[in-house]
Amino acid sequence: MSVISAEPEAAPTAERPQHWVSYPYFLWRSIVLATDGSLMFYAWMTMLTAVALVGANAWAHQVVEGMGVTHMSDHVSWGLYIANFTFAVGLAAGGVMMVIPAYLYHDEDMHKVVIVGELLAIAAIVMCLMFVVADLGRPDRFWHMIPGIGRFNWPVSMLTWDVIVLNVYLLLNLHICGYLLYMRFLGRQPSARWYVPFVFLSIFWAISIHTVTAFLYCGLGGRPFWNSALLAPRFLASAFVSGPAFIIVTLLAIRRLTAFEISEAPIRTLIAIVRVTILVNLLMLASELFTAFYTGGAHATSAEYLFFGLHGADGLVPWTWTSIVFNVLATAGFLYPNVVRNLPLLVVSCALAFCGIWIEKGMGLIVPGFIPSTLHELIEYSPSLVEWKITAGVWAFGLLVFTAALKIALPVLTGEAREKIV
Amino acid sequence: MSDSTPTQLPVLNNACSRRTALKAIGATLGAAAFARALAPLTEWTADLSVDEFLQKHYMELSPEELKAVFVRLEEETKQDYGADVTIADPRPLPGVKFGYALNLSICIGCRKCAEACHQENNHDRPSGNSYIRVLEMAKGSIDLEQGNVDYDHPVPHEDKFYMPVQCQQCDNPPCVHVCPVEATWKEEDGIVVVDYNWCIGCRYCEAACPYHARRFNWVKPQVPTEEINPDQGYLSNRIRPQGVIEKCTYCLHRTREGRMPACLEACPTGARVFGNLLDPDSEIRWVLANKRVFVLKEELGTRPSFFYFFDV
Amino acid sequence: MASEIRKLLPAMALIIVSAVAAWGISAAMRNRSAPAQEDQFSGQLGDAAAKNDGNLQKKFPVIIRHPEGPPIVDSGMLDFHGQSVMIACSTCHATQPPNTQTRTTADLDQFHKGLHVAHGNLSCLSCHNQNDYDSLRLADGTRLEFRDVMQLCAQCHGPQARDYQNGAHGGMTGHWDLSRGPRQRNNCIDCHDPHVPAYPTVRPVFPPIDRFPAAGAAH
Repeated sequence: MSVISAEPEAAPTAERPQHWVSYPYFLWRSIVLATDGSLMFYAWMTMLTAVALVGANAWAHQVVEGMGVTHMSDHVSWGLYIANFTFAVGLAAGGVMMVIPAYLYHDEDMHKVVIVGELLAIAAIVMCLMFVVADLGRPDRFWHMIPGIGRFNWPVSMLTWDVIVLNVYLLLNLHICGYLLYMRFLGRQPSARWYVPFVFLSIFWAISIHTVTAFLYCGLGGRPFWNSALLAPRFLASAFVSGPAFIIVTLLAIRRLTAFEISEAPIRTLIAIVRVTILVNLLMLASELFTAFYTGGAHATSAEYLFFGLHGADGLVPWTWTSIVFNVLATAGFLYPNVVRNLPLLVVSCALAFCGIWIEKGMGLIVPGFIPSTLHELIEYSPSLVEWKITAGVWAFGLLVFTAALKIALPVLTGEAREKIV
Repeated sequence: MSDSTPTQLPVLNNACSRRTALKAIGATLGAAAFARALAPLTEWTADLSVDEFLQKHYMELSPEELKAVFVRLEEETKQDYGADVTIADPRPLPGVKFGYALNLSICIGCRKCAEACHQENNHDRPSGNSYIRVLEMAKGSIDLEQGNVDYDHPVPHEDKFYMPVQCQQCDNPPCVHVCPVEATWKEEDGIVVVDYNWCIGCRYCEAACPYHARRFNWVKPQVPTEEINPDQGYLSNRIRPQGVIEKCTYCLHRTREGRMPACLEACPTGARVFGNLLDPDSEIRWVLANKRVFVLKEELGTRPSFFYFFDV
Repeated sequence: MASEIRKLLPAMALIIVSAVAAWGISAAMRNRSAPAQEDQFSGQLGDAAAKNDGNLQKKFPVIIRHPEGPPIVDSGMLDFHGQSVMIACSTCHATQPPNTQTRTTADLDQFHKGLHVAHGNLSCLSCHNQNDYDSLRLADGTRLEFRDVMQLCAQCHGPQARDYQNGAHGGMTGHWDLSRGPRQRNNCIDCHDPHVPAYPTVRPVFPPIDRFPAAGAAH
């Protein structure tokens, strides 16, 4: 007899019955697992919830009173939200640096923890979508973008491509994680044909989300600072620094805080990856800067503003030099021969790389694209309190999702959660 | 370190344990706090009519539906701004493609055009919005980098020339290509328009435009009742909603009825020439044929319908 | 190795797919933009004329403002009602012989004193008619009514007159489409004081406001 579950994340196989019992039970157990923990866990989650609520409140005010509560203007029409969106796309794509060794090169140690990367992708994409919504002047008209009932300007608008690739990437990772966890929960061997093709698709897709996001900017002829063929490769290189850096810290935290076993091997692999990508990223940055400054002219004005200030306007100069210093220090840290054993150095390097890239991809990339403006006016931008609140809120929510997801995934993987399906 | 969860996990019969109760309380508090945080939205949704929320794209509205929309918008303007206005929707004239030319030898940079635009198009008063920005340029260069908009001395200054910039109504408009929801498009007479009731406010077009031609309604526009121009077009100068993009339409509510744009009429020096590019006898065609004409940022391939020329 | 090549296949496929996609998008963009105009200035003139049939019957006039007649000058005196006494040129000049020696404004007297003239090397009688001060004279001596002053200006300012005739010089209001309404045009002396024809400097209006000057100033 075969009763088939209708749940989207369940494998639609008819091998065995009982999905209609076991899947809801799995979901229920997930909720229980996600909300169970130590005092420190509750403190962490409460803190994140509080920050997320502050952000939600600030967003509600922004919707009612208008985007005038931000410090964006007709000159700098994208700011902190799109900056963070861009960075979060990179974070989502960065998870693929675990998937490639695990699935393409059958790295068994990596395979054991690869779910961390996939869950990070889910949390990061959720953040991306929230940042985009936060940036919309009319979030109530969101449905105008839904193909079928709205008018979807595909394929001409790169933004529609981005909507597609981000949402599909989210679904892919939800499916892969959901399926694997469910199977582990049932204590069954996952069937390769129900997830391996999706894993390979997700590798391609991870590249595509960041490439398409770069194309959003570099396709604009009127913005010389972005209009560079190197933008997409740079996006990828920096994503493959910030993603693995975040994952390394996450793995170390998991090892410290839970009983989940994490060997040194995956961390070693991730460090090896960052050692290459962080250098490639710096090299590409140097190449961009050489082209800009040696040639000079209109193509260099934004870079000049960014690095040295222009006609007395220098709001981004401290940001960008901080980013450069962080990235260089992080590079030195990662290149230190035995960094994998030197945990403080490793964590600091990861943090520096993460923050360095956050500035480089965010305030250091989006904002100078608008300064000077297309009519060469120098109107500067620094985010308003509301923008900071909403941004912090989205980050808190993202971390909340990530923590809860790990909280579910780890016990399921170890089998602790595989319990008595009545 | 690891908490006590693993030992508790197998226990299935502690449904009413203290922990579960606490979780329930926590969840309730969380939900209440969430509702409280988003409370301002209720005020906003009260303002938003269902008809407006569900309104279809301009191109999908039947003539009757369009009529109903105009009536609704007129009523809303009366309610919000206290003004009796007429919202119409003149369509492109057959055989007409609008072109605009500006004589840089004659323009003195008085900004009367920007002011006229502000009044004609019911722009937000506090922000002094206008679709035209006038650049004071150094003689000897047409590099925009040498320009300055914040001049405040008698004009024309002898070392300068003046270059007003507004929407160039490009034939290859980057702003139209990038819009994710087709809220902006180019009409047959060359005017790039925005359906203010369809725009989602992502501002991608504002980033894509190389001419700083687009403006965003960062707040709900404020216009005193007595200053409202009641002669309004659905796709042009009606009072825009908060959170959407707007732009110069060559005053299509005037020009599609054969009249000159407001900025041309306001120009005290006659630096502006407007007309039909498809009419070989038009003034604009004479300028294109007889003057040395250039377009802004030609290298970007946007193919503007706005031209600049010098007399000497 | 064959397996190596097989590993590269996805990458190659990706490159080809992206190239085709980019080409497709740009083609789509080309199709969407520029409705109808291949060559906007020559290709479609026949069409335009055909479609324009109605519009070509230019029924409304272009009305050029004219000065009303000979100027009248403030004598500087007041009448019984306290109004200025305005007098026509011929009131005095009909009886006084013309002074052909007057070359500069410094030589002027009575209420012409202080008149500012900056118009090349012209003297008064280059334009004013010494035989009839209520009219003007062309360079060849032909008498010209004040209301036809543009003809006088056009003698020297040919390019401007040509531009004016072609609608590319001088302010105007009204209709670009004369089948739908008239047009009013300025004449030369609406904008140019004939004695000081250079357009005066003015104070610009309506300064631009940047939404957040404080944000920029904070740095």
